[in-house]
Amino acid sequence: MKTLLTNPAGWKSLITFAILFLAWVSGFSARLFAVIRFESIIHEFDPWFNYRATAYMVEHGFYNFLNWFDERAWYPLGRIVGGTVYPGLMVTSGAIHHILHALNIPVHIRDICVFLAPIFSGMTAISTYFLTKELWSPGAGLFACCFIAIVPGYISRSVAGSYDNEGIAIFALQFTYYLWVKSIKTGSVFWSVLTALSYFYMVSAWGGYVFIINLIPLHVFLLLIMGRYSYRLFTSYTVFYILGLVLSMQIPFVGFQPIRTSEHMAASGVFALVMAAGTFNYIQTRITKAEFKFIFIFATLVTSGIVLLAVIGLTWAGVIAPWSGRFYSLWDTTYAKIHIPIIASVSEHQPTTWFSFFFDLHILVCIFPAGLWYCIQEYNDERLFVVLYALSAVYFAGVMVRLMLTLTPAVCILSGIAFSKIFENYLKEDGPVTSNGTKTVEEKQPSKDKTPSKSSQSLSSGSGKSKKKPPTIASLNSDNSNGEGVGSNIRSIVTISMLLVLMMFVVHCTWVTSNAYSSPSIVLASFSNDGSRQILDDFREAYYWLSQNTDNDARVMSWWDYGYQIAGMANRTTLVDNNTWNNSHIALVGKAMSSTEPKAYEIMTSLDVDYVLVIFGGVIGYSGDDINKFLWMVRIAEGEHPKDIRESDYFTERGEFRIDSQGSPTMLNCLMYKLSYYRFGDLKLDFRTPAGFDRTRNAVIGNQNFDLTYLEEAYTTEHWLVRIYRVKKPDEFNRPRIPVLERKIRIPGASAISKKSARKKKGIIQGKPTVQKGKKPKATNTYTNGL
Amino acid sequence: MILLHLFLVAITISSSFTIEVNPKIFINNAECLVDLSTQLVKGECRLSLENNDDKPVNSVLYAFEPSIKSHISFISAHQVFESNRLSLNVKPVILSGHEDKQFYQIDFNTSRPLRSKGRAPLVVEYVLINALYPHPEEITQKDRQLMMFYGNAYLYSPYKSLKSSVKFQTGTRRIEDYTNISPVSFLSSGDVVYGPFGSLEPFSYSQISLHYDNNTPFLKATKLIRTIELSHWGNVAVTDVIDLVHHGAKLKGSFSRYDYQRETNSGISSVKSFKMYLPASATSVYYRDVIGNISTSNQRTLLDSVELDIRPRFPLFGGWKTHYTIGYNVPAYEYLYNSGDDYFLKMRLIDHLYDNMIIEDVTVRIILPEGSVDLDLKTAHPIIRLPDGLHYTYLDTIGRPIIKLQMSNVVESHISDFELKYKFPKAFMFHEPLIVIVAIYILFLTVIIWVRLDFSIAKDGHSETRQRISGITSAIMHHFERRASIYSSWDDALNKLKHSKDVGTYNTASKQIQTDYKNESTSINELATKLKTESTELSDKLNEVQKAEKNLKELFGQTQSLYTDKLITGKVGRNQFVELDSGLKRKKDECQEKINQLLKALN
Repeated sequence: MKTLLTNPAGWKSLITFAILFLAWVSGFSARLFAVIRFESIIHEFDPWFNYRATAYMVEHGFYNFLNWFDERAWYPLGRIVGGTVYPGLMVTSGAIHHILHALNIPVHIRDICVFLAPIFSGMTAISTYFLTKELWSPGAGLFACCFIAIVPGYISRSVAGSYDNEGIAIFALQFTYYLWVKSIKTGSVFWSVLTALSYFYMVSAWGGYVFIINLIPLHVFLLLIMGRYSYRLFTSYTVFYILGLVLSMQIPFVGFQPIRTSEHMAASGVFALVMAAGTFNYIQTRITKAEFKFIFIFATLVTSGIVLLAVIGLTWAGVIAPWSGRFYSLWDTTYAKIHIPIIASVSEHQPTTWFSFFFDLHILVCIFPAGLWYCIQEYNDERLFVVLYALSAVYFAGVMVRLMLTLTPAVCILSGIAFSKIFENYLKEDGPVTSNGTKTVEEKQPSKDKTPSKSSQSLSSGSGKSKKKPPTIASLNSDNSNGEGVGSNIRSIVTISMLLVLMMFVVHCTWVTSNAYSSPSIVLASFSNDGSRQILDDFREAYYWLSQNTDNDARVMSWWDYGYQIAGMANRTTLVDNNTWNNSHIALVGKAMSSTEPKAYEIMTSLDVDYVLVIFGGVIGYSGDDINKFLWMVRIAEGEHPKDIRESDYFTERGEFRIDSQGSPTMLNCLMYKLSYYRFGDLKLDFRTPAGFDRTRNAVIGNQNFDLTYLEEAYTTEHWLVRIYRVKKPDEFNRPRIPVLERKIRIPGASAISKKSARKKKGIIQGKPTVQKGKKPKATNTYTNGL
Repeated sequence: MILLHLFLVAITISSSFTIEVNPKIFINNAECLVDLSTQLVKGECRLSLENNDDKPVNSVLYAFEPSIKSHISFISAHQVFESNRLSLNVKPVILSGHEDKQFYQIDFNTSRPLRSKGRAPLVVEYVLINALYPHPEEITQKDRQLMMFYGNAYLYSPYKSLKSSVKFQTGTRRIEDYTNISPVSFLSSGDVVYGPFGSLEPFSYSQISLHYDNNTPFLKATKLIRTIELSHWGNVAVTDVIDLVHHGAKLKGSFSRYDYQRETNSGISSVKSFKMYLPASATSVYYRDVIGNISTSNQRTLLDSVELDIRPRFPLFGGWKTHYTIGYNVPAYEYLYNSGDDYFLKMRLIDHLYDNMIIEDVTVRIILPEGSVDLDLKTAHPIIRLPDGLHYTYLDTIGRPIIKLQMSNVVESHISDFELKYKFPKAFMFHEPLIVIVAIYILFLTVIIWVRLDFSIAKDGHSETRQRISGITSAIMHHFERRASIYSSWDDALNKLKHSKDVGTYNTASKQIQTDYKNESTSINELATKLKTESTELSDKLNEVQKAEKNLKELFGQTQSLYTDKLITGKVGRNQFVELDSGLKRKKDECQEKINQLLKALN
């Protein structure tokens, strides 16, 4: 017992373990706000598809999932799900489900899906610890681990219920990088094989794997041009590249892309380069310097020329696909706005604001350049990697809000290094520190306030140890050590202020998580004046109504945002969904929404639409509704049908987008407007505002009293948030109303022949158009029901 | 329905004697009350029977019209003697020649048969389901719901009746139409009374129809799956999965939320919410469906029950369906009794879902603890028992026995307890905790084995040596620390000597210090020899430390001699002593610093 307590290595591993464990636990529990406030439910849009696909896989098995043709999406096209998803997420939760059920633990697949991201965030924290430990020191690793466990930039994508690819992909990313650094350090085939396997998992999980397959070659390339070529580098990269390439091509969605698209060409180019470097290195040992110089220049020129020509030639011949549009939008931020409005319409594809950098990363965004500087100052092979990682991630995060996610781990690593360095300088009690063990213990002290309760005990006893120990050796010379370094006052000021900053970071993280990132978005909560909470469950109300009270094969038209939710919750066929692969189909729906009712009806009948679903926030003041998204529908429709839809028609003469009486007539008569405001003109929300006052846009609607000819209201939720309309069949609205006296009722059993003959006697022509007052004559053509 | 009838038929056939209508029995007076105000048709017939036969009669028959045969859900009979209610046994029978009708045989209590020339009162209660037809079948949102009932103006009986009347309660004054058969009276309360009629022959029948307003909830549970999961740790979990449909007049045309919110009469036949009563001890109640919790419900704990105000996600209009799950826990001690290994479970087979409920198809699954055997089930109403199965849940190895039953066309009157006897060896209670303990034990064992044993394929001699060396150096460090503390105590002792000049105390302290020092030195030397075999490089470094250490010891020796030999004896002057002392002190410090540096390098 005594030996255990006095053994610093034992303490070190115990504290490390405790901190890692607590980081995992606190990271996990910070992500549970939504579950505690609402319930264990899948959030937002994409997670609903992932959940649906997972449930399908669990029910039908993996191979049926790979072969799944989903006829409920993209009607009438359908979608080959198995070939168009990254199956890693589904396979992961399916495997967990399988194992648990094999152990007779009957956990519902939904709960696994809900809690998958928080569990994986813990694993991300652990792999970040290992990565930082390899790069710098275990102390920095613990800092980075604690940071990434609670940093909002990562929590935003991994709260419980946010069942999305990113949730597991960041773990795969960090783990792949850890293994890569490890293999670069050791040059062992074992580690590079593991890197390739981890990369394979990443490929199966997220399209962001392209980041890895470009960053690692970039790293290798940098090492080559810095003259840091080594056998370690050669082994790890070649093994990783070959295995990774072969493995990544096993994912059906990726297929032959790794050898046929430009995004992946950098990796193969660097592979060739590494081979060349290896060859020259070998030749160098055999021949003289002058000969070598000549051969080197000659060969370099020839090979680079050949490679360049080959790539250009293959691209031209169509073997290698050029950069995809989404990739272009990363380099040219205005590209998407001009060429692909559908990408630009997504809010998470917008450029990042400075505010959101601070909001998502808080103090880390200020401190991480220091870490970056340390890495550059004391660079080696693996630190160069993290430098590249950070720089490229900063660029991408600036281009797109959602790529903040890839920046976050890099920032956490570098901030961990910076903090570790600061505390290393300022927390040393006196004199040089004797052993590594005590060093880490000291560094770990600040993380006490992040890992509450249980750890503090073990930590304080651990740090107490560390304080007691050095003086026994150093006590005798304590007099002169004070002379060098910083004074104890400055030391304590710096330490305390750093601790305060860290504390504020924790407070900020909790606040952001609880306020910004913990809303399921399909359940809304509002607070009334007396502080009681009201739940607006309109989305589920509508989806459940659809699932219970419409035909099983009814086709629902809505804007693509709600496609996955309709498929997941209502289990009905949709026309377009969040997998925005077919722009023209989406444009057709946009066209229907922005045309007048008769024109829209033509489109809807051609698409076999039974129901139309719109989101309308005017009653409760919900700003994310369809009218606010309407301009994107118009823009996307205009992109495909420029003759029929023009964006300018929907603006007033002064270029405003209005829904009140000043609004443009095209706007006031389009289908989306009518469906949103049908009978809204009669509704008086409160005593202060007139009838038909739209709370979202703070205006009285312009077109108030109109009727729908081709559609009828089928269901509207309690707060009018979701409105569902049924598309009438032609015989339902073409029928003119006949006065009761003139109605002829055919009684079954009675002879119809006599009637006809009687009519014939009168000389009535069959199918004669009966002209009705106030109706178009065209409408009466189909009046044959009486016969 | 069909299954139940087959079952009833099977029972009838098994009672293999022939039944005939006794012509000597007649009904003296009959008053029937048929309540049509809800979705159920609830009949209550008060009969006064007279036996003209010579011998007492043990049983009488009650008949239903052929048109009603398929709607019967429940029937019971009782007699009232001196305000004591005496329930009678009722069983379905088939009469030859009357196969189209439905007969029930009511057995009198053996102690109270219908005596010869005697009279006896008898009350028959029955419930018909699906006997009201919406007319028109489809209504718009603003329309009221009208129901049509087809019935018999007379008392339908296999016996002759002398005086009878039938009263139909509609619960509303809005009656569109009713068949006129003299004598008929329409009361202001909305009741329609046919009769009193005089003498009527057996099986008198005259169809009447009533067309009236009925906006009460027309809800029908098309399917109920009820799971009762019993745990011997003190909990019974009950889960009801319900498919609900509004089977009144279907909604025609559009649903307008505006009208529904603004006009009170809009959608009057729709069902916005209904109440469900759970046992008073029910806790952790949940109300959810496949896409999550249904947030629009309230729970109120009453004295004798828990009232749930259930609001489906959307109001139910005619023809609209919904599907939901209700679950709750009740403590087992209220329902489970045991003596030794024999257990007895008594609780409700089905429970209240909503007022005047109709459940078409009920499946009940009773899951017993793992290891239960000899199951013996008794129910109050006929059921179909499906083959037992096994259910696997947390920590199960052999599976829990599961009893499956089916019933159909169930109404509130069917709510009754079932009784289940089974055997469960008490020792089996420890089965599952033991599994957990063993699993954790195995986990720890594996970790211990994994950590302690070397599983690597290739022997890594290098790292082994490194480990050995680091072990030795850390031991050496430890000893150096101890020696450092010895030095510091020596220092203290010397200081004390300097001030007190007490050589005796110093000598005793010094002796102790010297022994300690010797011990440490021998240990270090032993370790140093060990280290020499492992690493010459480190051993050299260690030698340097030792050398420096020897210097330090010498310095201490000098200090000691300075104090004892010169200071105490006064051989040296004050100034000279201070000079010498500080000189020695500086040297000591330098030496110590050197040792520290060297040790750091050693590490």
